[in-house]
Amino acid sequence: MSLSPYAPIIGLFALAAAFSLFSVGAARFAGPHRYNKAKLEAYECGIEPSPQPVGGGRFPIKFYLTAMLFIVFDIEIIFLYPWAVSFDALPIFGFVEMVLFIVAVFVAYAYVWRRGGLDWD
Amino acid sequence: MSPSYLAQDPTLADFGRDPWWLVLIKIVFAFAFGLLATLLGVWFERRVVGYMQVRPGPNQVGPFGLLQTLADGLKMAFKEDILPKAADKVVYFFAPTISVICAVTALSVVPFGPMVSIFGHHTPLQVTDVPVAVLVLLACSSMGVYGIVLGGWASGSTYPLLGGLRSSAQMISYEVAMGLSIVAVFMTAGTMSTSGIVAQQGHGTELTIFGNSIPAPGWYAILLLPSFIIFFISTVGETNRAPFDLPEAESELVAGFMTEYSSLKFALFMLSEYVAMVTMSAVTTTLFLGGWRAPWPITIWEGANSGWWPMLWFFGKVIALVFVFVWLRGTLPRLRYDQFMRFGWKVLLPINLVWILVLSGLRSIEDWDSRGKLIAVGIPAGILLVATLFWPNRRPQPKPTTQEQVDNRPYGSFPLPPMDLQVPPSPRITRVVAEREPANIATGSDSREV
Amino acid sequence: MTELKLPSLDYAALAPILIMLGAALVGVLVEAFVPRRSRHVVQLTLALLAVLAALTMVVLNADDRLITAGQAISVDGPTLFLQGAILVLAAMALLLIGDRSVERGGAFVAQAAVTAESADDRRQAEGRNGLTEIYPLTTFAIGGMLIFVAANDLLTMFIALEVFSLPLYLLCALARRRRLLSQEAAMKYFLLGAYASAFFLFGVALIYGFTSGIPGRGAGVDFSTINAAVTESPTSPVLLFAGMALLAIGLLFKAAAAPFHVWTPDVYQGAPTPVTGFMAACTKVAAFGALLRVFHVAFAGAAWDFTPVLGAVAVLTMLVGAVLAVTQTDIKRLLAYSSIANAGYLLVGVLSPSRDGLSGTMFYLVAYGFSVLAAFAVVTLVRDADGEATHLSRWAGLGRRSPFYAGLFTFILLAFAGIPLTSGFTSKFAIFGPALDGGQAWLVIAGVLTSMVLAFPYLRVVVMMWLSEPGESTPTVTVPGGLTSAALMIGVLATLVLGVAPAPLLDLATGAADFVR
Repeated sequence: MSLSPYAPIIGLFALAAAFSLFSVGAARFAGPHRYNKAKLEAYECGIEPSPQPVGGGRFPIKFYLTAMLFIVFDIEIIFLYPWAVSFDALPIFGFVEMVLFIVAVFVAYAYVWRRGGLDWD
Repeated sequence: MSPSYLAQDPTLADFGRDPWWLVLIKIVFAFAFGLLATLLGVWFERRVVGYMQVRPGPNQVGPFGLLQTLADGLKMAFKEDILPKAADKVVYFFAPTISVICAVTALSVVPFGPMVSIFGHHTPLQVTDVPVAVLVLLACSSMGVYGIVLGGWASGSTYPLLGGLRSSAQMISYEVAMGLSIVAVFMTAGTMSTSGIVAQQGHGTELTIFGNSIPAPGWYAILLLPSFIIFFISTVGETNRAPFDLPEAESELVAGFMTEYSSLKFALFMLSEYVAMVTMSAVTTTLFLGGWRAPWPITIWEGANSGWWPMLWFFGKVIALVFVFVWLRGTLPRLRYDQFMRFGWKVLLPINLVWILVLSGLRSIEDWDSRGKLIAVGIPAGILLVATLFWPNRRPQPKPTTQEQVDNRPYGSFPLPPMDLQVPPSPRITRVVAEREPANIATGSDSREV
Repeated sequence: MTELKLPSLDYAALAPILIMLGAALVGVLVEAFVPRRSRHVVQLTLALLAVLAALTMVVLNADDRLITAGQAISVDGPTLFLQGAILVLAAMALLLIGDRSVERGGAFVAQAAVTAESADDRRQAEGRNGLTEIYPLTTFAIGGMLIFVAANDLLTMFIALEVFSLPLYLLCALARRRRLLSQEAAMKYFLLGAYASAFFLFGVALIYGFTSGIPGRGAGVDFSTINAAVTESPTSPVLLFAGMALLAIGLLFKAAAAPFHVWTPDVYQGAPTPVTGFMAACTKVAAFGALLRVFHVAFAGAAWDFTPVLGAVAVLTMLVGAVLAVTQTDIKRLLAYSSIANAGYLLVGVLSPSRDGLSGTMFYLVAYGFSVLAAFAVVTLVRDADGEATHLSRWAGLGRRSPFYAGLFTFILLAFAGIPLTSGFTSKFAIFGPALDGGQAWLVIAGVLTSMVLAFPYLRVVVMMWLSEPGESTPTVTVPGGLTSAALMIGVLATLVLGVAPAPLLDLATGAADFVR
């Protein structure tokens, strides 16, 4: 009997999961437990921890922007992969189309760059 | 090129034929490789960095201090496991496991060697291979972000949250560069399976320089030098290693996303970091350094690429790459966050896209059989790339005048005292007081127009 | 590896689409590299030139009857007629969008991300120049609409739907004043639009499943395959009906037909008025163009099945639009409900299977587009210190203050009400006539009755403008600059000309009224 070539990936995944879950679980029992109120506070270099807003609060919009840019370029990459793998089977038209596609994404990229979307300060 | 040079290459058809016990052996082997690599990797890093800093490093526990990491790990297990009060219990509990699982699972498609015979079974020295193996690698490396960002978020504390956010932004930024640099590999190899990519790199290249023909390896690191450089840089960014270890920049964020973690959970994060480093070195070896294929001088020996020997070359290459990781850490100072993001988005990304276009253009118009032409383009392009990356920037940053800084302050800022305010010197003080510069005022970003 | 087969592309036939999308890309680059001061002029010129160039290509292609890009795009009579209509109306809308004489800095916000009602927001409303990103956005939307009416398979249609919807969602959020209302409008439009898109996609999936049942033919979502499946498929039509219903939901949402109309009043009210005009005119043309093609080409064989349902939707739409228009107190909401009612009349046209019905619908779309753009042009002019005065009570006595513009608006309202000698009369005639011939008398009766109901709110506004004394709060009518004046005049003249001499355009529409299958 032979397994699907994908099965070993799941096997390794399961082994790693078992190992790490065991470790995380074992940590509850292996170490000592001495209650100390200060120990369970959030760590902020020794000062009283600043109160956390409900739900984690707001963080800079830059992160959202980076996430959106990532999606744009990740989708570009998704289109590039099959094109690259079958590059030799494509006629010159495939190359031209991909140039157009990359240029179109590049236009957006130039816009974001010029508008400061890639700057962190 | 002798036929035996290629004879041992596994193809996709060779996978999925193993009996279950052989699969199990391979899985356990890959897992043990990951753990052992961590144990040795930490020791290796500490020794090498120690050597670079002219100090011995760990040398007490075991021969050459080899067991130091093991001792540390054991000690870690018997430390108190703290669950912070503000933490999101479930996510806090599972975040380290995500990191470890993702780092380890990536090893499943890394080819360690060619076809060998194990207990009478003719089988490739690789856990498995699938037509989309490189996508599995990418998926694992990007899923690893979850462990970090969730760990940071679930801690319910400010420093871990910032560390986790930084880390996610950093990893997705460098994943774009990484993903793009592999496009060139796919284009050249015509396949996404790791064993196929290694097989494709077996075709050597004859370089003709001044009439002498030199056999060079068909490694994509040479054929696609710019891709290799970008890939390696983004690997460093993806694994959060120095000089890109911003998520755990201790001078700014204490220990980043790991601040609230202790005991074995902390150990798991450390483990995943080192496994990821080793995995990434293995992936780089596979994609760009010919995988398990012997480098040139060894290939004079006919049997270099068959049997169990290639595993040795593979480990040699991985160790060399891990050494580069450590070397970088020992040498370079950490980047500032804005420099780091600028580097990823404004340097690596456009260069990558242009390089892909140039490469595909060359391949469209040229007959691909002449690899020398590509080398003739690629190597100068790579050198140019490195030169531009590391060319010192001597142009001074434009320094805004005080008035400009005042004007740029966001609406609603605190009132400023007049800039020409002269405090009359006290008659009792006779020494000359040094002239003070006005404080640097933060420029507001939202009132700026482009 | 096998050589991949490439679809053949007829670049001339695709030229209008390519020109608009290319211009939009150039517009983005202009936004990035041209200095801020000259962007407005450059962008407006670029967008108008692109529309003109695309229109020229449409006119040059006038005799094309072909399907290109591998069954994805069909360039035939209705496509070209509707593309031309979209481009002409879009040019008018661009004139309105580009006007900066009525309000300092234009009708658009200068910094969209500023918190609404904050001090920063008040300062940007004072007269900083508006965003110029609106031009690339509008150009993208126009390009998407051009694809939408030409799409010959459902996937292309979906892509086009998204291409023209996403810029519209954004444009809705960019009003200079009443930022919260504008943002709310955009949010509602976006969320509901996303649902409608999801319905559409789900419908595409079901239709695809249905077409897989035809013997001797592959599954597909291009219209000829669907048409063949509708007539030939031996499988149960449940998938077909479910898919058709979901597709119709997606399209009727864009067309603002009841019961998928609920976004319309809020979005029309919150969006910047030039954008509202653009949506009322061009989106309607695009949505009904797609509806016509889907139901006349793809599902022609199932006409007996969908006609009663769509007829009910039409009647409901007319009723909702007409009855709720009576209760409105805001001129933009009033026009929104009027646009809903008009969607109902247009659906009557869609349901006429004859060639005359098709040409009548296309004629109606053009005539209504001109009138509604002119109406919104007048709305931009009636202002006080806080921007546009849209509450109806503020319009009382406007006829005494500025008889000229009140006269123009009265004329447009009479056209909406369907008074003879206006395009409203001829276009309703062009739609109801074929419907009567086609045996849809019940729709015609409902249409005439609701028209009479709908005349009431129009006439109420007319009465209010002319027969009330101007009060303290009656706003003034700003004398518009060239751009708005041009748009207004084109709209009013077209309404008049199409009412007096509709024959040339009707002939053109009749000549164009056959689909390539």
